[in-house]
Amino acid sequence: MNSNFSCKTCASADQKLETFISNLSVDTSHHRMEGQSVKCGFGLQGICCRLCSNGPCRITPDGLKGVCGATADTMVARNFLRAVSAGSGCYIHIVENTALMLKKTALSKGVLKGKVALAKLAEIFEIDETDEYICAEKIADLVLADLYKPDYVKMELVEKMAYKPRFDRWKELGILPGGAKSEVFAGVVKTSTNLNSDPVDMYLNCLKLGISTGLYGLTLTNLLNDVMLGEPSIRLAPVGLRVIDTDYINIMITGHQHAMFAYLQDRLIQDDVIEKAKAVGAKGFKLVGCTCVGQDLQLRGEHYKEVFNGHAGNNFTSEAILATGAIDAVLSEFNCTLPGIEPICDEFKIKQICLDEVSKKANAEMKPFVFEEKETQSNEIIDAVIEAYQARRGAVALNMNADHGNDDTLTGVSEGSLKSFLGGTWKPLIDLIVKGEIKGIAGVVGCSSLTAGGHDVLTVNLVKELIAKDILVLSAGCSSGGLENVGLMSPSAASLAGPKLRAVCESLGIPPVLNFGPCLAIGRLELVATELAEAIGVDLPQLPLVLSAPQWLEEQALADGAFGLALGLPLHLGLPPFVTGSPVAVQVFTQDMLSLTGGQLIIDDNAKSAAETLDAIIEKKRQELNI
Amino acid sequence: MKRIIIDREKCDGCLNCNIACISAHEEGSNFYTVNLQSPDAETRNFIKFDAQQGYLPIFCRHCDEPECVLSCMSGALEKDQLTGHVQYDETKCAACYMCVMNCSYGVLKPDKQTRTKLIKCDFCDDKPDGPSCVKSCPKKAIEVKEVSR
Amino acid sequence: MKIVIIGASAAGISAAKTIKASEPDTEVVIISKEDSIHSRCMLHKFLGHERDTKGVNFIPEDFFETNNITWLKNTTVIRLDTNNKFVKTHDNQEISFDKLLIATGASYFIPPIPDLRESKNVYGFRDLKDAQLLDIECKTAKNAVVIGAGLVGMDAAMAMLERGLTVTVIEMTSDVMSLQLDKKSAQAYQQLFENAGAEFILNDKVVSVDVDEVGRGKTIYLASGKAVPADVIVIAAGVRPAFNFTEGSGIATNHAILVGEDLRTNVKDIYAAGDVTGIAGIWPNAMKQGRIAAINMLGEKRLYEDRYALKNTVNFYGLTTLSLGNINPEPEENCEIFIREDRNNYQKIVVKNGVVQGVIIQGDIGGTGFWQYLIKNKIDVSGIDKDVFSLSYADFYDLDQQTGEYNYAV
Repeated sequence: MNSNFSCKTCASADQKLETFISNLSVDTSHHRMEGQSVKCGFGLQGICCRLCSNGPCRITPDGLKGVCGATADTMVARNFLRAVSAGSGCYIHIVENTALMLKKTALSKGVLKGKVALAKLAEIFEIDETDEYICAEKIADLVLADLYKPDYVKMELVEKMAYKPRFDRWKELGILPGGAKSEVFAGVVKTSTNLNSDPVDMYLNCLKLGISTGLYGLTLTNLLNDVMLGEPSIRLAPVGLRVIDTDYINIMITGHQHAMFAYLQDRLIQDDVIEKAKAVGAKGFKLVGCTCVGQDLQLRGEHYKEVFNGHAGNNFTSEAILATGAIDAVLSEFNCTLPGIEPICDEFKIKQICLDEVSKKANAEMKPFVFEEKETQSNEIIDAVIEAYQARRGAVALNMNADHGNDDTLTGVSEGSLKSFLGGTWKPLIDLIVKGEIKGIAGVVGCSSLTAGGHDVLTVNLVKELIAKDILVLSAGCSSGGLENVGLMSPSAASLAGPKLRAVCESLGIPPVLNFGPCLAIGRLELVATELAEAIGVDLPQLPLVLSAPQWLEEQALADGAFGLALGLPLHLGLPPFVTGSPVAVQVFTQDMLSLTGGQLIIDDNAKSAAETLDAIIEKKRQELNI
Repeated sequence: MKRIIIDREKCDGCLNCNIACISAHEEGSNFYTVNLQSPDAETRNFIKFDAQQGYLPIFCRHCDEPECVLSCMSGALEKDQLTGHVQYDETKCAACYMCVMNCSYGVLKPDKQTRTKLIKCDFCDDKPDGPSCVKSCPKKAIEVKEVSR
Repeated sequence: MKIVIIGASAAGISAAKTIKASEPDTEVVIISKEDSIHSRCMLHKFLGHERDTKGVNFIPEDFFETNNITWLKNTTVIRLDTNNKFVKTHDNQEISFDKLLIATGASYFIPPIPDLRESKNVYGFRDLKDAQLLDIECKTAKNAVVIGAGLVGMDAAMAMLERGLTVTVIEMTSDVMSLQLDKKSAQAYQQLFENAGAEFILNDKVVSVDVDEVGRGKTIYLASGKAVPADVIVIAAGVRPAFNFTEGSGIATNHAILVGEDLRTNVKDIYAAGDVTGIAGIWPNAMKQGRIAAINMLGEKRLYEDRYALKNTVNFYGLTTLSLGNINPEPEENCEIFIREDRNNYQKIVVKNGVVQGVIIQGDIGGTGFWQYLIKNKIDVSGIDKDVFSLSYADFYDLDQQTGEYNYAV
């Protein structure tokens, strides 16, 4: 057992997964964590600068400034803005592709499954058009036109999308974004060698990137996808390693761009393709969800019951999913596709195909998705996967874990489906909040990481603490992957909630933790928050609503976080985002932000005390609302 | 006695040992929060760089025949017969810095701020799991080992 | 075996400690004329009221008990009988020994200036006794005069400034601490002392003292004609090894007790260490001599090779200086002198034929211990292709893989 490796695996909130991984003979991120356990202190504090050949410079007692004179405050701000710019770029890439896909789908009169979403977007964008294809095209064009504006021309949809009090505040602060792609460019330029040295200016810039990231990369991506792929609807679904069915040819999907699979996922259940699968001894094809694109598919699972087997796990579960031996191919189009899966794919003869040039994997076949060639490409992919299936099945040992996960995770929660569930109005939820049956709402979002106690450890523990305090948790991102696999999104989890929340959940038959799906759906949480604020008639910072990205992992999460702060929400992170070496950064994020946007950063890697802090904030906001 | 054994070939000059040392002597701090810009931030270990030899870790050896102890005229420096560690008692120190002069390896230094005390490795004797620098070294270039006296 | 040690300062205590650490069964008797153990380098802290008697003790309070050492305090040795191997004390005790260590140190010297020695308010600053007497004087005195601006004089001056006295320092040479410093580094200290209220009269000397009706020196007259008022006078004009009791004992002396490299005198079983040998110079050397004498007395052979005494550190008002070797070379010595300075630091390196002769490091002295090794061992640094100021132990880095200790790669 685990004889290949001298190191031990890291802890996971998911005990069954932890055991499964610790017994694997392949190297996973969980194994590598120990070898990387000693961290660079300068990196952790954000006070290492390698922007020029005089460096890398680090802030030490003997070197309080870089060679160029940059202080810790400047270094931290530059590093941070660079990261936020990169993270924003990732999400803007996603929305750009999604809008292009919508436009091409409209032009080619392809399938548009989400009529409600189409109408909603037309209303927001003030498009008066009865032909749904022309309407969709116009929507896509408006989005693309904004994305491609220069940074000195403000994007037009911001005002239409944003809640008015927020928009006004952003305007006052001068942080309304120009063209989203150009803003990424500006962020990169600004942080290059010996340009900007003003930390406050750079943090305001982060907020600007947060707005473009949030409204476009997150919110709009969801809505555009809804038009093409169908709106989410609430249902119970299986999750975990158990969803993998060895009778089928299994394709694991990873990434963030669900629309790229739109054609393929429909194709996989057509008769001729099923026949092909049967010809090699399988019952057909199944998609196995992993990372956010899997979450997105799960969210819309109602429309894909036949081809989709369920969501198996989040980013740091991907290696384990492959190590079952029952996955025949990995189709990836974006992050979070770990490089760590590559040797596992080699060892298990798993075919890897990458659909987006930005995320070419070292040993994978590159097949950039081309809309016009989607039919041919899909057939080629199907043939390649069948070939892999034939070569590997029987030759590769299976290591299934049918016990992992559960069959009753409540999925498909969105701003739309939740409102419908409540009877087409937010009033019941608002009433519950006002009466204190639900004390407040916490959006527990973002990634999964192996830090802060281990895989999903802080996320799961924090959520348990929050629900015990009658705080309803909404989750989006890889955090959902962990929370669902440990059963917190099953109706039975109501028993872990505080007495009031428990009663609410039990009467409605819902869990205390609602699954909004992928990290993109942080945009859906923003919609929920905005609609609640609108219904009550307050600004977002006044709501008894907090955000937490307990196990934020990467640059995209930092851009998401910037959105949260721009929205004026309290944001908890388990570990600091490499800024603690700068007193100015700490001051801006934890104190000054309150007067800028109303937001506030809280850093705490202890689930109990973090929950107490968030609970206190919610209590305070309730008091201020006189409820 | 136990000594921090140095494998200088492994040292990458990352200075994590410096941070760990400063953090170990800043009450309640950790790698995220330790204030490296504080006037009180003092490291007790040093990494020198030499173009030919690479990185050279200079750490207190808690010498078998410690010149610093022999030179101490206040009794502040004592070699503990049990642990072998050279211990420093700040309350006794008269800040004459004879020890700085007599440490042939240039490990000892006065405190930057007040020049009233000595900055010296205490082997993190108050910490149950040993010297913080050793735990912080990503390359295991420094390790605690038993050496005969 | 019974070892008697005369003197309970650096050398004596260090010897006793060494003996007891390796052979606890050896009987050790220490005879000292003081009734407390103290470090003379901390006397200024006592006089300045920064520390009390306990605070200037450099050994644990229970040192004699835990080490099972007999301590005869307030006891002065008046005679040594080398043939019958005993010493005689002022109270007529005869204390026998198998081996004897003379570690009686040195005593201050009052120059033969008319009425100076006779003045009742003249004190040295050598032992705790001196500091205690000065302490009493400081309670009433207003004007203090310090004769000699060496380290001891400056120590006394600083302590009395702390006590709020008006302090005048009279020095024959042109600079303070001229043995340790050069002009530039000396002036830095002079400035700090002046900022604290001290007055310096340099290039001048005392020619006479005006004594009042009760025998106290009240006015000090200088060669320049200046007259300085004095309520208390501290004399810091040097010390002489103290060994009166050896007269007629056959111990060879020449202004000091003469010792070989094993620190043994010309007489078998009788050793000497510390200031009394005239080759210690400073505290650390005295400690080392005590240790080496002890090792030799116990029968093991160890030579005192580290005779390098031209070294010191200075720390006044937070300004620290390391001083080593020949720092003020004469032009005919043909030395190269390297100097660099910034706002807070002054560094001077004296090099001859590639060998460092002397060093002054003023300001940040952290990590400068390696210089002493280079000077003492005459290491040729000309082969090291770097600025002499950039030298550090790293240039001589060598690790013993077995023990983990450092060596010098030279």
